Amino acid sequence: MKHEITSKEDLNSEDYLIQVRAPVIAKKLQPGQFVVLLIHPKGERVPMSVQKAENGKVTMFIKKLGKTSRELYTYKVGDYLENVIGPMGNPVEIKKYGNIAVCSDLVCGHAENYALCKALKQVDENHVISIQTFPTKDVVYWEEELRRVSDEYYITTKDGSYGRKGHYRDMLKQLLKKGNVDMVFAGGQTEEYLKLAELTKSYNVPTKVTLRPIMVDATGMCGSCRVFIDGKMRLACIDGPMFDAHRVNFTELINRLTLFKKQETIAMEHYNKTR
Amino acid sequence: MAKIIKNRVHMPELTAEERIKTFDEVPLGYTEEQAISEAKRCLQCTDSPCAKHCPISVDVREFIKELSKGNLKEAFLKIKKDNPIPAIAGRVCPQENQCEGICTMRKIGDPINIGKLEAFLGDWAMEHEIREELTIKEKNQKVAIIGSGPSGISCAVDLRKYGYKVTIFEALHKAGGVLQYGIPEFRLPRKIVDAELSYLEGIGVDIRLNNIVGQNISFEELHEENDAIYVGTGAGAPLFVGIKGEELNGVYSANEFLIRINLMKAYKFPEYDTPLFVGKKVGVIGAGNVAMDAARSALRLGADAHILYRRTKAYSTSREEELHHALEEGVHFMELVAPTKILGENSWVKGIELVKMKLGEPDKSGRARPEETKGSEFVMNLDTVVEAIGTRTNKLFLRTVPELKTNLWGGIKVDEELRTSVRGVYAGGDATSGGATVIQALGEGRKAAKSIHDYLCRS
Repeated sequence: MKHEITSKEDLNSEDYLIQVRAPVIAKKLQPGQFVVLLIHPKGERVPMSVQKAENGKVTMFIKKLGKTSRELYTYKVGDYLENVIGPMGNPVEIKKYGNIAVCSDLVCGHAENYALCKALKQVDENHVISIQTFPTKDVVYWEEELRRVSDEYYITTKDGSYGRKGHYRDMLKQLLKKGNVDMVFAGGQTEEYLKLAELTKSYNVPTKVTLRPIMVDATGMCGSCRVFIDGKMRLACIDGPMFDAHRVNFTELINRLTLFKKQETIAMEHYNKTR
Repeated sequence: MAKIIKNRVHMPELTAEERIKTFDEVPLGYTEEQAISEAKRCLQCTDSPCAKHCPISVDVREFIKELSKGNLKEAFLKIKKDNPIPAIAGRVCPQENQCEGICTMRKIGDPINIGKLEAFLGDWAMEHEIREELTIKEKNQKVAIIGSGPSGISCAVDLRKYGYKVTIFEALHKAGGVLQYGIPEFRLPRKIVDAELSYLEGIGVDIRLNNIVGQNISFEELHEENDAIYVGTGAGAPLFVGIKGEELNGVYSANEFLIRINLMKAYKFPEYDTPLFVGKKVGVIGAGNVAMDAARSALRLGADAHILYRRTKAYSTSREEELHHALEEGVHFMELVAPTKILGENSWVKGIELVKMKLGEPDKSGRARPEETKGSEFVMNLDTVVEAIGTRTNKLFLRTVPELKTNLWGGIKVDEELRTSVRGVYAGGDATSGGATVIQALGEGRKAAKSIHDYLCRS
């Protein structure tokens, strides 16, 4: 079944929003779950974070990074995607956690955290603290929307041009010092998770991170997204995508993310030549 | 009595040199004339041992008899009566262990080339658009089938013939299950799979792609909306050996390697978007059909391919033809070795440590048990490892239906009638057995269809 693009807009010069009609997925998808896009018959299956799944439509935030995300950017409202598949993965358990820090430093995390904050906030006695990190002031987006679904909201920029200076971890550290955090959820750059895990472990605060290893089918068949949790092999697609940050082997995961670096360049070159 | 011809009519094939540059099918197929000549070699044994050794009891003697007389349509219909997908089964069945294995001609020469005759008739019917003339007496009851692989297909066909409304729910974006993601084009061209599947749609089976039961549609919903359910979810989850180094770049499960190639067409990258890294030297752990498929695919992608097997060639579970083709194409076969760890450098595979094995006393399967020779470890330098040691039932579906009891090897528990522990729910194929052949799955799909029919007639 093909899926119509119902909305598309720039978030900043690199990130964009795209919304597709997908009534079944919109009805079923819960925070923490993701979708798989296969934009045309020769396309690849790409796992994609979901920002919102409401009113029969699924909204995603995407970074123009590789061939598929750049090609998708050329699609217009009214065009169709070949396949939008999901929901994939497991939902986050929405329950009483207390003071919850919800952090992100990349497009995927910014997307996921909207629905997550919204759902967590609906539970009595939860206090949701959003911390969003951007490189600089000019590229900040979706601030107001996320603020609306949070009890406390912080923005950090790496160059200090807007909000507080630094990474979400710096802000989180201040909150942890005050003993104001009972639970941490984080999405975004895998490279940053390692330090995040060290930080929250030192304060003994449970931390869950969304992992995004390379996937193919995302239904548990290929094993491409295997991650090692306390030395045990798990599949991010069906066992995750969220895992306990204190038990993940991030170094192995970061290495596995480089698997197709060379092929990504070839794909881009081929795309630029043939478009 | 006609003269006995000991040798088979030669099957024309691409040469090994031609093959390793392409994913085109290896056997070129019989012409009508060749097929009829081959059929004429059949002795027409009155006790039909071939049919008795067919898991779905195809009336081999009768179809060959019609074919030998040049009655192609009649011959095709004789197969079609028992086998919904002859063009596929003819290509992927392990005939040497079944019909051709017991063929009387084997005692004095070559057995009849039953598989290739079956494939010939399947292809011929497709080309000439010959179809069974069915008069389906519609019933109101509905049956849902989970999985569009071989067992789901055969179950769907029979249930439609009984008159039920049949819907297949397929998780992937293409139908066919293992026929689509697992078996490479050089053994089973996708146009054949597509044509056989279009037959299903032609008789009114509704195939719904991208439907992952347990994710976007729940088992409860299916149960409520249908009068019976058949679970044919296969054994889609990969097994890993569990040795050090499996996190390294360059290590694949055979499932991943083959899904990228077959389902996603990574061999046509960058025309197709899905990439695949295949190094210069690929080690494939295992020696079954999947291992042969992976090794031969690696060859076609320009690598040097090595099968690493803990027993000897004679114990390989692969089809005779696949092993033969693999060796002919230049796949190296290292016997009596087992992997102990995968070695890496900067997160990429650089070698594999193997230990030498010897064959001991027979194990439960009757095959000699491979035993390690202590201290015989050695390193083989390579940059890609494909693990083809088997698959198991995917828990993605099963975990959402805890009331479905499982057996010792994690498959769905069924009784003689293929009934599961949930009333109205049946299961078969690799989802219950944990990994067998296409033809066994076809057989179980048919058997389940009969059980479901009996059940729905009673209820």
